[in-house]
Amino acid sequence: MRKLIATVILTLFTTISMAQTITVINSGKAGGSFNARTQMYKDGLEAAGYEVKFENVGKISQAVKMFKASDEPTIMVYANNQVYKQDLFHTEDNFIMAEYQQPLYVCRTDTSKGKIYSLTVAHGKGYDPTLLTKLLGDNIILVPYKNSGAMLKGMLGGDVDMMVNNQGKSFKYIASGKGSCRPSTVLPMMVATVIGKNIDISILRSILFDISLDTPFMEYHTTRKLVRPSSTWEKELAVVQTLEKGYEVK
Amino acid sequence: MNELIAVSTGLLAGTITGIVPGAGVMVAMIVASPLLMSFDVLQLLLFYMSLASMVQFTGTIPAVYLGIPGETNSLPAVIEGTKFNKRKMAKLAIGICAVGSVLGSLVAVVITYGLLSVLIEHMTVFFSNATKFYLYLFIIAFCLLVYNKKNVLVNLSLCAIGFMLSVPGESDISSDFRYTFGIEDLQFGIPLIPVLIGFLIVPTIAKMFSSSNSNVFLPSIDIGFCKVIKYFRKKLIASSLRGGLIGYICGFVPGVSTVLSTNASYSFEKKLHPNNPGKLLVASETANNSGQFASMLPLLLIGIPITGSEIVLYSMLVDAGWSPYQFDNVTNNADMLFKQIVPWFVFANIVGLIVAWPLAKKILNLFANSKKYMIAILAVGMLLLNTYLGILDYRVWLYTVCLIVFGCIGLLIKKYETVPLVFMFILGNDMEGVFIRQMLI
Repeated sequence: MRKLIATVILTLFTTISMAQTITVINSGKAGGSFNARTQMYKDGLEAAGYEVKFENVGKISQAVKMFKASDEPTIMVYANNQVYKQDLFHTEDNFIMAEYQQPLYVCRTDTSKGKIYSLTVAHGKGYDPTLLTKLLGDNIILVPYKNSGAMLKGMLGGDVDMMVNNQGKSFKYIASGKGSCRPSTVLPMMVATVIGKNIDISILRSILFDISLDTPFMEYHTTRKLVRPSSTWEKELAVVQTLEKGYEVK
Repeated sequence: MNELIAVSTGLLAGTITGIVPGAGVMVAMIVASPLLMSFDVLQLLLFYMSLASMVQFTGTIPAVYLGIPGETNSLPAVIEGTKFNKRKMAKLAIGICAVGSVLGSLVAVVITYGLLSVLIEHMTVFFSNATKFYLYLFIIAFCLLVYNKKNVLVNLSLCAIGFMLSVPGESDISSDFRYTFGIEDLQFGIPLIPVLIGFLIVPTIAKMFSSSNSNVFLPSIDIGFCKVIKYFRKKLIASSLRGGLIGYICGFVPGVSTVLSTNASYSFEKKLHPNNPGKLLVASETANNSGQFASMLPLLLIGIPITGSEIVLYSMLVDAGWSPYQFDNVTNNADMLFKQIVPWFVFANIVGLIVAWPLAKKILNLFANSKKYMIAILAVGMLLLNTYLGILDYRVWLYTVCLIVFGCIGLLIKKYETVPLVFMFILGNDMEGVFIRQMLI
């Protein structure tokens, strides 16, 4: 009997110690895409047998600070448009996978058609003004907004003639029937990624890749019309590193 | 049955959220998110509507009795409600607020029904920078000309301090961090809760202690519900309807929605009846409820969330199968609004009216019988709340330092009304962005 109890206890402890612990940092605010993606990865990792330590930070700058300081196995959803501002670049040591990519869109109101001079252009506060003037010409007035949602509202409210916005908000604007949008071939592509540290990248990539093929993730990508760049780890990293250079504010 | 479950849980969550100072609709939505994952689209909408409505009812209770704003839109209720409490008329204040809130909701429903097609056509006007610009000018003028016995210099100084406190961190129009003095935690700005506690609650607690009248939580004169209705009908109905209308219009303004509703309505009423706390209180509380309903309309009709809590709801709605693009579905949405949501919304308001009354009585009894302990509990509670929120925000030391600093300043300036400072702190960053964009456009 004693042997049986000892075996049970030993098995129990072995099982517990084998459950790997991983820290998942949530860098997004409730309601945002970073938050939604992080929650899905958390659920997927738990289902895969990981013990997840969830750090619900909610602010990208604070999350990056925590990520840099972490000495435990840690992952975080990220995007290439953040790298210069946060001073955290995609490297061989932290890049796990590219989850989806989307171009930036240039939208224009129907009422501004024919207007050539002094076009007012809404843009996110993190965008490079020189890149925008290179794309749209010098004769524009750049109007900064807090985020993509504020830009869309400003555009719908008639503040500006044009906006440079992400895919989701641009689709919404098209649906409003007040103007049109086209994907930009000049402005850099945004790639949503997952990064990590103190982990075996190839193992985590395989697990996270499977999670991102689960139904909730597929539905998330399908409803938002997000394109998934399926490739090898090396190629994905090379593309992300190339595209992130486009977000440097000169 | 599913609808009833959603409404009941929303009402329960709203009751608790309203009573807990500092806990707003957004916090409640996040806390309730595990439960909400099993809800369908209609249930989510009903839960949110019930929650948001109920918070408006029960949120008045701590505002009137304790002088603590449950949310940033409760400031007028704090200012005018505490005047009622001092006159032993807290029950009357709660009563007229509850009746005003129901009327506000009904006003909002009637206006929406009558002007639906116009609203759908012109809703986006409220999103424009110019609308916000003129509304902010109005609020600044109000702050300068109304408080501290109309002493413009004092009000200007308070506004300037409030604005300066809103400046550190990331601005609305630039991604650079400013005035952080090398402190990384300041990159996210000065936290709201220590400012509210330091400049509003600490002076209130100090006044409670220094008051010669030891009976701080005054036993309220018991007034029957019928008498409240009669009083409301005779004296307050016009103010309430005015508040409902102003609140409804302001409810559409993104970001500030009900905060603007209550304060704009309060400012307008203050011009008409500067020394009538009843009218001022009712106007702002009616505006709160009508603004709450109006703020939901951009999301319900065209799929654009305009407040923080709506963004959380929006994300849940999309996860529950709601299409993110609603511009081509406006007619169906309007149909759903009036057939499936409005009846439950009216029901939630009636429950709010019924619940707020006995709940206020219970809380009053508790306060009246143990006032010294309640002051101590209030002080310790605020300290714990500040620490807890600091931990959640990963900036506990900054919260603590801010609380100490602002608490000391709050004590030094306790003889002044600090509302202009708090207004400018809350709205300063957004105001700066709006003003700069207005110059560019």
